[in-house]
Amino acid sequence: MIGQIIKKQALLLIRNPVQLLLLIGLPIILILILGNALGSMMNGDSSGLKVKLALIEHQPENEQVENFLASIDNPKGTKVEQSDVTNIAPIQTLKSILTNDELKGVIDVREVPFSEKQAVLDDNTYTAVIEIPRKFTHDFLSYTIFGEGNKPKLQLYENEQQQIGAGVIRSLLEDLQRQYTLASFLQEKEIDQQVLAVETALLNNNQQSINQKNPVTSKGYYTIGMAVMTVLYIAATIGSLAFMEKRIFVFNRIIIGNMSRWVYFTGILLSGMIFGCLHLGIIFSFAWITFGVSWPNIMALLLVTFAFSIAVGGIAVLLTAISYRLHSETVTNFFSGIVVSLMALMGGSFYPIGDNSTFIQTLGNLTPNGAGMSAYLSILRGDNISAISSNILFLCLFGMAMILIAASTFPKRGEAV
Amino acid sequence: MLELVDLTKRFKQQYAVKNLNMFIEKGEIIGLLGPNGAGKSTAISMMSSLVEPTAGDVRFNNNSILKKPAQLRKVTGIVPQEIALYNDLTAEENLQFFGRIYRLKGAELKRRMDEVLDLIGLKDRRKDIVKKYSGGMKRRLNIGVALLHDPELIIMDEPTVGIDPQSRNYILETVKRLNAERNITVLYTSHYMEEVEFLCDRIYIMDKGNLIASGTKDDIKRILSAEKTISIKADRLNEAFIKEIKEHPLVNNIQVEEKEITIMVAKEVNIFSTLIKMAEDASLELSSVAIKTPTLEDVFLHLTGRALRD
Repeated sequence: MIGQIIKKQALLLIRNPVQLLLLIGLPIILILILGNALGSMMNGDSSGLKVKLALIEHQPENEQVENFLASIDNPKGTKVEQSDVTNIAPIQTLKSILTNDELKGVIDVREVPFSEKQAVLDDNTYTAVIEIPRKFTHDFLSYTIFGEGNKPKLQLYENEQQQIGAGVIRSLLEDLQRQYTLASFLQEKEIDQQVLAVETALLNNNQQSINQKNPVTSKGYYTIGMAVMTVLYIAATIGSLAFMEKRIFVFNRIIIGNMSRWVYFTGILLSGMIFGCLHLGIIFSFAWITFGVSWPNIMALLLVTFAFSIAVGGIAVLLTAISYRLHSETVTNFFSGIVVSLMALMGGSFYPIGDNSTFIQTLGNLTPNGAGMSAYLSILRGDNISAISSNILFLCLFGMAMILIAASTFPKRGEAV
Repeated sequence: MLELVDLTKRFKQQYAVKNLNMFIEKGEIIGLLGPNGAGKSTAISMMSSLVEPTAGDVRFNNNSILKKPAQLRKVTGIVPQEIALYNDLTAEENLQFFGRIYRLKGAELKRRMDEVLDLIGLKDRRKDIVKKYSGGMKRRLNIGVALLHDPELIIMDEPTVGIDPQSRNYILETVKRLNAERNITVLYTSHYMEEVEFLCDRIYIMDKGNLIASGTKDDIKRILSAEKTISIKADRLNEAFIKEIKEHPLVNNIQVEEKEITIMVAKEVNIFSTLIKMAEDASLELSSVAIKTPTLEDVFLHLTGRALRD
């Protein structure tokens, strides 16, 4: 008979496409929106900024370096080594900056021949174009080493529609120019450049996530965040359907049919658990297929989902019991309208709010969605089951507590009208 | 078969039902009459073991059902006043669900579903979602669910509320047929006198939680043996005329409708000439003044001073 109750609940859900769409469609839409909008703020993601840069060189730099070395008459008797000149060759330096590891994912550098300049300028996909005139390096070396001639100039074309990316390129060039000016000044004053040099090791930026074997992408984060939040609506929906049965006197009919109210109670509990599991399964499957959010430990995933479903089932029966007791759906409406949002916020569904405060993090972990989220995130990071055992235990205990309170609240024989 | 002994239900200080005594014999159709708020539904809830009484007992085949309701529930079908069905399921799915609740399954369940759908005239619409049904069809399915497990006793709480006359007749004929062909015992509550008069062998009348009359239709109508009912009709009644009749010392009860006033007076009183004089004084043109055969409605008016549907 419990099976009949679950089957009937499933039929009622399926026959309400709007509700079904909200339960399944809403989290998917939210994952898409939040995952994309807040992606750059999350660890493990590449920046959303993409810069396409064209470099137009009128004359190869090495040719200019060779010409420069050949033309030196060394007026001040300064000994100029080829390696020194190569080290300060500006275009080579610029290229090495633009293509270093940190910027590789952000800046896409294309070396373009001069003949294609107009085509590149007309191509809106380019963020900026740097045009390097003839003898730029030659003039630069003459000015820097011997203080002869004029400062050479680069031509930067910026795409006004990609201001942020163009600004990045401009900043890089300005920074490079500042470095060269400083170097030139030091040389002029015959100050050893090493004086200003900072130990390279101190500047090394080695970014590593703490306790994170696999970085969690924003899509992964929000898949979990939205799944653990919206599965709570399953509990509210089951509670709502159960109250409808009381309102339209179907519950009385069930009782008169000599079905124990505890069988009905168990049916509601299992409905909450099964539909909760299905809901999580659908969201996670969708995220896996669409966003590639895959789970390194399926056993752990199933274990957390089962524990979470106990909590969801517990909430469903508690909402049902209170609604029956109060003869009103207000509690269920309050839960789905306000409590879920608050719990989602505290649990970190919208933003890792716990990162800013240990207190909020602890509080968040005391919500079923927060505990579920912590456990799911740990699995996604590659932690093993022992790392999430406290979350699993909490979810089970939370669910059991809800069930016990619901059982003591549920109207006893002779109380239902 | 079923007996209520001093059955009482009190909500805080308010008595919904007070010392109700009733009995139902196998094969009878019993009417429970009363206006809205009389306590009929509470009485039904207690006798169907949904609500525990504050005092008194409900006995089924001489056994109290208060502690062990299973015996009664097994053989009783309840038709609630409300349409207690899943609107988003088909008739078939509803019957299947409730059939399983009554522990029917497999071929037996299918056979009972077919029989019930045939009986309530919904065989062709069995696969339709209930919310697409008319009010009358929903009422019929509401009855059908109560018949699924082939009950010995059916308790029907105002099963014809808010439906068209055609569906109402269908339901009344179905109840009559169930009783005649299958010897099903029926407890039928209504505030429609004509339904109860048509269906029932014996009648209980309740008002404000109390049983105010009981017996066969003739027994109850005999309550009015000392009185007669006079119907006064006019195209347009006026307040002066109504006021004068209300204040007349010989008029025991009065019920005013749009174009008709029904009064009760002692059998030996001749009030015709007085009525005509009063109408003249009030400048009222009467269309008819006649003595009526007493109805249950008149009995209720006599007993409570109020119309049944007030």
